[in-house]
Amino acid sequence: MREADEQYFERLESQLDDAFDVAERAKERGGDPKPEVEIPVAKDMADRVENILGIDGVAERVRELEGQMSREEAALELAKDFAEGRVGDYETKAGKVEGAVRTAVALLTEGVVAAPIEGIDRVEILENDDGTEFVNVYYAGPIRSAGGTAQALSVLVADYTRALVGIEQYDARSEEVERYAEEIGLYDKETGLQYTPKDKETKFIAKHLPIMLDGEATGDEEVSGFRDLERVDTNNARGGMCLVLAEGIALKAPKIQRYTSALDEIDWPWLQDLIDGNYASDGEADADDADESDDETDGDTDSDASEADSGASDESTGPPRVEESTKFLRDLIAGRPVFSHPCANGGFRLRYGRARNHGFATAGVHPAAMHLVDDFLATGTQIKTERPGKAAGVVPVDSLEGPTVKLANGDVRRVDDPEEALEIRNGVEKILDLGEYLVNYGEFVENNHPLAPASYTYEWWIQDLEAAGADVQALRDDPRIDLEFPPAERALEWAHEYDAPLHPEYTYLWHDLTVEEFSTLAEAVSNGRITNAGETLVLEHTDTVRAALERIVIEHRQREDRLEIDDWKPFVHAAGCEIRQTATDGASERSADAADGPELDEPGLGLERTWADDDLSERARSWGHESAGDNAIEAVNEVAPFAVRERAPTRVGNRMGRPEKSERRDLSPPVHTLFPIGEAGGAQRNVADAAKHAETMSDTPGVVEVQIGRQRCESCGTETFKNRCPDCGDRTTPDYRCPDCDSQIEPDEAGRVECGHCEVEATCVDRREIDINEEYRDALESVGERENAFEILKGVKGLSSATKIPEPIEKGVLRAKHDVSSFKDGTVRYDMTDLPVTSVRASELDVDVGQLRALDYEEDIHGEPLTHEDQLVELKVQDIVLSNGAAEHMMQTAAFIDDLLEQYYGLEPFYELEDRQDLVGELVFGMAPHTSAATVGRVIGFTSAAVGYAHPYFHAAKRRNCDGDEDCVMLLMDGLLNFSESFLPDQRGGKMDAPLVMSSRIDPSEIDDEAHNMDIVSQYPREFYLATLEQADADEVDIQIGEDTLGTDGEYTGFEHTHDTTDIAMGPDLSAYKTLGSMMEKMDAQLELSRKLAAVDETDVAERVIEYHFLPDLIGNLRAFSRQETRCLDCGEKFRRMPLTESCRECGGRVNLTVHQGSVNKYMQTAIEVAEEYDCRTYTKQRLEVLERSLESVFENDKNKQSGIEDFM
Amino acid sequence: MPLEGPARIVSELTSRGYNAEREAVTRIASADDPAATLQRVIEGLPSDALVVRLEHVESVLDDLSESDPPSSPADTPTSTGAQKTNTQSTAGGSPVETKGVSKGAGRSSDPDERSLEIVGDMTGESTGTGEYGDFVSVFRDRLERLGSKLRGRVNHRPATAIQSMPGGSDVAMVGLVNDVRSTASGHWLIELEDATGTFPWLVMKDREYADLVDELLCDEVLAMEGTLADDSGIAFVDSMYFPDVPRTHEPSTADRHVQAALISDVHVGSQEFMGDAWNRFADWLHTEQAQHVEYLLIAGDMVEGVGIYPNQDEELDVIDIYEQYELFNEHLKRVPGDIEIVMIPGNHDAVRLAEPQPGFDEELREIMTAHDARIVSNPSTVTLEGVSVLMYHGVSLDEVIAELPEEKASYDDPHKAMYQLLKKRHVAPQFGGHTRLAPEERDYLIMEEVPDIFHTGHVHKLGFGKYHNVLAINSGCWQAQTDFQKSVNIDPDAGYAPIVDLDTLDVTVQKFS
Repeated sequence: MREADEQYFERLESQLDDAFDVAERAKERGGDPKPEVEIPVAKDMADRVENILGIDGVAERVRELEGQMSREEAALELAKDFAEGRVGDYETKAGKVEGAVRTAVALLTEGVVAAPIEGIDRVEILENDDGTEFVNVYYAGPIRSAGGTAQALSVLVADYTRALVGIEQYDARSEEVERYAEEIGLYDKETGLQYTPKDKETKFIAKHLPIMLDGEATGDEEVSGFRDLERVDTNNARGGMCLVLAEGIALKAPKIQRYTSALDEIDWPWLQDLIDGNYASDGEADADDADESDDETDGDTDSDASEADSGASDESTGPPRVEESTKFLRDLIAGRPVFSHPCANGGFRLRYGRARNHGFATAGVHPAAMHLVDDFLATGTQIKTERPGKAAGVVPVDSLEGPTVKLANGDVRRVDDPEEALEIRNGVEKILDLGEYLVNYGEFVENNHPLAPASYTYEWWIQDLEAAGADVQALRDDPRIDLEFPPAERALEWAHEYDAPLHPEYTYLWHDLTVEEFSTLAEAVSNGRITNAGETLVLEHTDTVRAALERIVIEHRQREDRLEIDDWKPFVHAAGCEIRQTATDGASERSADAADGPELDEPGLGLERTWADDDLSERARSWGHESAGDNAIEAVNEVAPFAVRERAPTRVGNRMGRPEKSERRDLSPPVHTLFPIGEAGGAQRNVADAAKHAETMSDTPGVVEVQIGRQRCESCGTETFKNRCPDCGDRTTPDYRCPDCDSQIEPDEAGRVECGHCEVEATCVDRREIDINEEYRDALESVGERENAFEILKGVKGLSSATKIPEPIEKGVLRAKHDVSSFKDGTVRYDMTDLPVTSVRASELDVDVGQLRALDYEEDIHGEPLTHEDQLVELKVQDIVLSNGAAEHMMQTAAFIDDLLEQYYGLEPFYELEDRQDLVGELVFGMAPHTSAATVGRVIGFTSAAVGYAHPYFHAAKRRNCDGDEDCVMLLMDGLLNFSESFLPDQRGGKMDAPLVMSSRIDPSEIDDEAHNMDIVSQYPREFYLATLEQADADEVDIQIGEDTLGTDGEYTGFEHTHDTTDIAMGPDLSAYKTLGSMMEKMDAQLELSRKLAAVDETDVAERVIEYHFLPDLIGNLRAFSRQETRCLDCGEKFRRMPLTESCRECGGRVNLTVHQGSVNKYMQTAIEVAEEYDCRTYTKQRLEVLERSLESVFENDKNKQSGIEDFM
Repeated sequence: MPLEGPARIVSELTSRGYNAEREAVTRIASADDPAATLQRVIEGLPSDALVVRLEHVESVLDDLSESDPPSSPADTPTSTGAQKTNTQSTAGGSPVETKGVSKGAGRSSDPDERSLEIVGDMTGESTGTGEYGDFVSVFRDRLERLGSKLRGRVNHRPATAIQSMPGGSDVAMVGLVNDVRSTASGHWLIELEDATGTFPWLVMKDREYADLVDELLCDEVLAMEGTLADDSGIAFVDSMYFPDVPRTHEPSTADRHVQAALISDVHVGSQEFMGDAWNRFADWLHTEQAQHVEYLLIAGDMVEGVGIYPNQDEELDVIDIYEQYELFNEHLKRVPGDIEIVMIPGNHDAVRLAEPQPGFDEELREIMTAHDARIVSNPSTVTLEGVSVLMYHGVSLDEVIAELPEEKASYDDPHKAMYQLLKKRHVAPQFGGHTRLAPEERDYLIMEEVPDIFHTGHVHKLGFGKYHNVLAINSGCWQAQTDFQKSVNIDPDAGYAPIVDLDTLDVTVQKFS
C-alpha cells in the first residue's frame, strides 16, 4: 500500500475513532439497550467474519490461513479447528458442525451478507434407521444471498466436520429421496430456480448426500405426495434446502469436486457421476439432460455461441454482426418505454470506452438523447439492455456523439448539446438515430460476452492514421489541427494522403443502405447542384433519396422540392462521384462571389458519377447480413477514392427498467420512535393520541396494554421496561421468567434461556399496561421540548424484536422535531441508486478546491497541483457524492443528532453544521439490503442527479453493482448512537439490512470481484478495435482491468478513463417516469415516444404493453373478483366468503367486496383503444374482445339489456 | 337467423310449457321467418292452451281471428320415464316430436320417438351485476335449497339459537362449511354457518366421522348432530349428514334401445387436436354399428381458445378464435345430421370463465350452426327420452382432486372425484380457491334433482362408474398430450368416445386414436 493510501485510511479511522469516543460516552449515559456502541469495527474481512458470527478467535485464524491458501481451503481448515475444538467453544458435536458451516459461509461471502446467520438456522444430530447418528443442516431462505458456490461448500464443510467429529453418514429413506424430488419441482414452480435438476438428478443427489439437508418452510404450497414424513417437519417446500441442493450441489458439482478430491477424510465418488450425468439408467435421458442444462444456463451463452458462429461463417459474404436478442423486451411494463428494438437501425450505436462516471454495469448515453426521449432517461435510470449484460444504470456522457433528429421544418440535425435538445424538443418529428452508447471493455469481460463490432470513432481512427504512417504526435501538437473534429477538407486531405480510412466524423452509416439504394443515391447526387457559394449540395427531393439520407444519418435540410446538404464533399466522394469544373472561366469554387446569393446555381461546379452498377464486384453487390445486398459498405469502398469503415455496425436495443431513486427511507407508516402504543394511536400511530386514548369513560387516558420486555434492576429490584432503573438510575437487565413455574432464569453462555425444571424456554416479554401519557410527558420534559416542536410523533403498534425492548421516547421526540424517521433498527436512512465515478471536479460537486485540498486531494489526474475548480481529481476509494436530497436529509439528521447529544445524552453537539458545505468530510455508513455489514464512507460533495455516486469499489464492498441497484446511507453518529440489535425483528431475515458490523477500510481483494473486471486505462489499443470485428472473446484482448492491480501499490489509484464528461449530472434531474402522474399518462408518453423513435416498432410496444401489463392485470383482477374475500368496512374483519348474515359477524357492520368492478375493468377500454390505434394483432384484439364479453357477462344484467327470444335461439 | 329446425322449435315450446302438434311444428318451420312466427304463435295462444295446434299457427299466418274450437288432445307419441319421480320434466311430461335434419346412414329409428329437454340453462338469464349482495344471494340460495334436503333428517336449530341452549343438550344444525382446521391435539374443528351466524363443531379424531373430514370442502352444505359442550361454546359431533344421492335412487331409462355419445374437450385449433381420431369417430357414427347413437353430448372446450395461458399463440394451429369455431363447426358437420347434439361451454371457450357459464353468444352461435346443436349453459341438465344427464365441464374436479386424499379423488379415476360432487349435490362447492364464481340471484351449480347421468370433462381423463346408481362419466379428450401436460406428467385419454345405452345405462367405450 502506498503511503498516501495508508494516510487516507488512517485519517478515516482516526475520524471514526473520535466519533466512537463521543458515542461511547453518550451510550454510557443514556437509556439505550446496551451501554456501548453496538456496531463493532472490522478492519478487514477476518474481523467482519468474526463479528458477524460472534465466534471469538475466528479472525485471528483466518488471518493466519489467508496468506497460505485460498479462501475455500481456509474454510476447510477452519472446519478442522472447530472439530478439534481449537476455535469456538462448543461442547456438542452439532455445535461444532454448526460453527464450522457458518464460518465457511461467512468466509466465502467475505463477511458481508447475512447468509451465515440468517441462512443457516441450526444443525442437529438425528438418528439413522440403524441407530447411528447423522447430521442434519437446517437451511433458511436467506441462504440465497450466499450464492451457489458457498451453498455447495457449506454442505461439504458440514460433511468434513461430521467425519472429523465422528458421526455417521446420512442414510436417506426412500420416501425422503422422493420427497426431495417432488419438493424441488414444487419450489421451482412456485418461486423459480436458476437451475432445476431433473427428478432423477435430485434423487441421485439425495440418495448419496452424506448430510441431510433440511430447512424452514417457505412457500404456501404443499407437496401432494410424500407428506408428513417423520424426519421432515413440514409439508411445504423448504426454500433454503431447495436452493442448496439445486443451485448449490447440482449446479456447482465440478467446483466441489475440486475440494473433495483433496480431502482424505471424505469421499464423494458420486460427484463424478453427477457431473457426467451418469445417474440416469438409460442413455436417452442423458442426452435430454445435456439439452436441458444447456437451456438452463442463461440463454446468453446460447446467443453468444450463435453470434460467434455467424461471425465466422458470414465472413466472406457479409459484415460481422451480433445476433438479435429480444430477451430484454420481455415483461414490458406500461409507462416504461422502449428506446430501441434489438439491433434496430436508428438505435443506440455501440461505442467502446469508459467515462469517468462509468463502468460496473452502467451505460453512457448522451445527455441530449436523455432529453430527446422525452426525459424518460435520467442519470441513474435503469435500462434493460440487449447486451452485454442484462441491465445497466444510465450515466450522462457528453463526449459521445449525440442523437440525430428530423424537425417539423424538415431540418435533419445532430444534437450534441443538451440545451439545444431542450429548445428543439417540441419540434422533433422523428428521432432518426439515438447517438452513441458507451460501454466499457470490462463489461464484456464480466458478462463473458464476445466483443461486438465497434463503431468507428476518432479514438480508433487516430490509431489507424498512426498505423498508416502519419506522425500523429506532430499532428496532435499542432494547435491548428483538431484530430477529433476536423473540417471536411482536412479529413479528405488525410484520406488521400495516408492509407487510412476516412475520418469517422464524415463517415456515414452506409451499411444501413442496400446496394440498390446506394446506387439510386449516387445517381441523385450526380444530378445534384452546388449552390450557396459551393457550400451546399442540392438534390432532388424524392422519397427514396430522402429515406436514404435519413438512414445514413447525415445532417441535411428537407424542403418541398429539394434536399440540401452542407459539408457535402466527403459524402459525394464516398458515393463515388467526382466534382468537375463545368464553366470555362476556370474560377475555383473558393473565389465564387458570395453576392450571387444562396439560391443561385454555382456555374463552375458539376458532379459526375464515376461508376455504373455493373462496375461493382459480385462481392460488393451481394454483401449483406440478413439478405444479399442489404449492406452497401463494400460498394462504397469500391467506388470511393478512400477506404470507408462501417460507422456503426452494432446497435444496442434497450428499454427503461426502474427509475432512479433518491428518497428518504420511511417505514409505512413512518416511525419516529420504536415505542409500542398498540391500537391506541389510531392508524397514524400517533403517540399524542395514544396518550389521550381511553377505551371507556372509566379508563385512565393513556393507559394502554402492550407487549413489552420486562427488565429488572439488579440494585434495587425494581421491575420496569426501561434500560435504566427509574428509581435508582442503574442499568437494568432482561428479566427472564419461566412461563410455567415463574422462576427467574439467567441466560446461559450461549444466550439460551431455558427453565431447568420445566424444560421450556423462558421469556422476558410481558403483556402489561403502560401509561403512555406519563411516558410521553416525561420524555418531552427530559429533552426540554414542547409538543408544538413537531407536527406528529409516530410510534409503532407493537415491537417485533425477541426481547421487545422499546426505544426511549425522547429519541422519537427529537426525530419528529427534525422531521426524520427511523428504520426498524433505530437508524435514519436515505436511499439512492448506486452509480460509479472514479474522477471528479470540484465544480460539479458544488465544493471549492480548498475543501478538496482539506481532504488531502492535492493533485489532479495529470499530477498537476490542484488549483482550480475544473481540474479533475481521482476519487479516493471511500469518498462518496451525495444527491441534493440526501445532503438535505443528512443535514436534518445531523441536527437531530446534535440535539440528541445535547438534550438527551447531555454532551456537546457533534456536527454543528451551518450549511451543507459543512457536510463535506463527514463520515457516513453505506449499507445495502441483504447484507449485514456497513461500509464507512466520507462525503466529498453533492450532485443534482438523484443518485449516489461513489467509487466502484465502495459499491462493490457493499455487494452492489450499478445496474439499477440502490442502497442507503446513514450518518455515522446516528448509526453509532441509535442502532441496536435488540430492535431487530425476531424473524427470518430480520438481521438483514442491519449494520451488525462495519468495515472501516476497503481492501480491494475483499470486495465483490465483479468490480475487478472494470478496465482502468485511458485508451484502448487498435488491436482491440480490430478484435471486435472478429467478435473475439473479451479475454483475448489485453486491456488492464482492476484485477491486474490487486495486491499492488496501485490497487487504490490509477483508475483512468477513456472519455470525459462535462458534469456527472446532466440531462434531466428526474426521469419522466417519476414526474408524470398517472399510469395512463406514463403509458401515453411511452407510446407517443415509440412513434417518434425510428428504432422502435410502436405496434410491438403496444402489443407488449397489452400482453404483459394490461392483459395480466385484467385477467388477474377478473380471477380475483370471482374468488375474492370480503371485508367489514367498520371493523376491518376479513371473511374468506361472503357471510350468510350479510352484515359483519363480528360487529354487525357493513361488509363489502375487496375487488370491485371498477378495479377489474379499469384498463379494459384503454387496452382496446391502444390495440385499435396501434394496429395490434388480431390474436391480441380477440383476447381483449373475449375478455370484454366476460366482463359484460359478469357485470351486466341480461334482463336489462334489450333482447328478445331470438338472441338465444 | 339460421333456419330454425323443428327440434329447436319444439324445445322452445316445451321450455315454455307447451306441447305441439307435429303439423303445427312443420308449419312453423316452413314459414318464411320461423323465429318470428313462433314468437307470434306463442303470443297469440289462448291462456288455457297446453298444446300448440296447427290452427294456432294457421291463424297467425293467415292473420285470421276466428278458428276452429280445439280438438281433442293429439295422440302424440310420449316418451317414457316421465312417470319416474326424479326426472327433470317441466310442465309435465311433454310429448315431443322432431324431425331429423337429414338422415345419417344406417340410422333407422323414428325421430318422433326422440325427446330432449333442457333444465337449468341460464343463458340470457344472468342477472348478477357483481355486487356484494349478489354473492350473498347465491350462498343463501345454496343453503336454502340444499339445506332443505337435510332439514327433514335432523332436528336442526339456527347457529345463534344453539349458543343460547343449555350445555349438554342434543343439538343439530344445517349450514355451509365455513372453516375446517385441526386442533393441536389432532381433533377437527368445523365451523358451520347459517343465515344467523356460525357455530363450531368438534369432530374427535377417534370418532368414525373423523375420516369424513378429509372429504370436506369449504362452502358445501352439511348437517351435523351432536352434544353441546358445558359452556355451550362448541358442540361435539355425533353424526354428519350430506345432501347426497339416496342409496335407493333408481335411475330412469329410455323405453327403447337408443344410445348417446358423451364426449368433451375437442380443442379444435390446438396443434395437438387429433383431427384423424375425430374423423374416425365421425365416420364410425355413420356405420351400422353406431346406428343407435342418436344423441351427442359435448361437455365443453370445443376449441382451444385464445389467451388461455401465456404465449398460447405459439402452440395454436388456428390463431383466430372465430376460425377455431368455424373449423369446429366443420368437424361437427362430419357427424351424421340426424344426431341430436347438445353442447355446453368449457374453460377454453370464448365465454366468461366464472361459473355458471352462459352458452355461447350470438356471434358464435351463428358460426356453430351445424345440425342445429343445442347450446346451453355450463352446467345444464338435458333429459334424453326420460334419462336426465347433468352436463358440467368439470373445472372444480381439479380442486376436488387437489384437496381430497388420493384414494378418494385422483386424475386416474376422475369419476371418483365426481362421486364427491354427487354426494355434496353441488358441482363446484368451494369458493375462493380454484373455481371461479359469478354471482347470480340463485345458485345454478346445485344438483337440485338427482341426475341419472353426470357427465363432465376438463381433466382429459376417461373414467366412469356408478355412485348410488347414478352413472358418472368423465369423457376423455380429442387433444394429444401437450407440452404442459408432459411437464406435469399427465397422460391424457385422447380419442375415446364413451357410448351410453340409454335403456340400460351401460357404457361401452369406442377408441379412435
